[in-house]
Amino acid sequence: MPVPWEALIPIGLVTVMFGTAGTLIKTSKQAQNQGKPVRYHVDAWDEMMMDRDQRLTGHKRGQRSDPVPPEGFETSSVWATEPRR
Amino acid sequence: MTTYKDGVRSSHPYKEPTSLPDSIPKVQELGTTSAPLKSAAFFLGAYCKEYNEDFMLCKQENRDPAHCLKEGRRVTRCATDLITKMRENCLQQFDEHWECLENNNQEYYLCRKPERTLNKCMFEKLGLTKTIPGAPKGKPPIHEVEKPIFKAIQK
Repeated sequence: MPVPWEALIPIGLVTVMFGTAGTLIKTSKQAQNQGKPVRYHVDAWDEMMMDRDQRLTGHKRGQRSDPVPPEGFETSSVWATEPRR
Repeated sequence: MTTYKDGVRSSHPYKEPTSLPDSIPKVQELGTTSAPLKSAAFFLGAYCKEYNEDFMLCKQENRDPAHCLKEGRRVTRCATDLITKMRENCLQQFDEHWECLENNNQEYYLCRKPERTLNKCMFEKLGLTKTIPGAPKGKPPIHEVEKPIFKAIQK
């Protein structure tokens, strides 16, 4: 009995579509995170630290180990303007 | 922490309209971001123990920010001092460890190899060891266990 090759066409199409969508999503997420894997299980502490990283480096995933902060770091905190928890 | 902020402010960084009065001594804030701080966390605990404990006890009395400014300045100065010393002595191991942490969701258990080299370098150069407070005393601490149960999937 001949092989039903017409059935493999939609299987191949669906596989390629899943694969492309997954790859594009992964690439987009990594580009948003400066090439690093996405942070998961981010709790309130991590959110606060990532906001601080943004004040220090300009991006939520930017990192620097220099102990001297950039100009304007001391006055750039919006902590005092947020409602009291 | 995602509260509504005016669109007017989003194009340039926020600047506090009322800064501290001049009567309060100025201290340079710590410009290190989260991953290097997490890497140095246990060494900060070992090196700055007295100042940290002072600050926490002070905060326990009264949570008003104005009450604990002096102890806070001491903590900041001690932390800046330690980070400077770490960068002078163990820069390469320090950088490796915090870069590994940053690529692994800032979890310690996924980055044991760079952590071991950093601990060794810190012990040799500055005499600081990482101790986990509250760890059970009979068994080896988790960062020294040879074959842990929770580990990275790939070697």
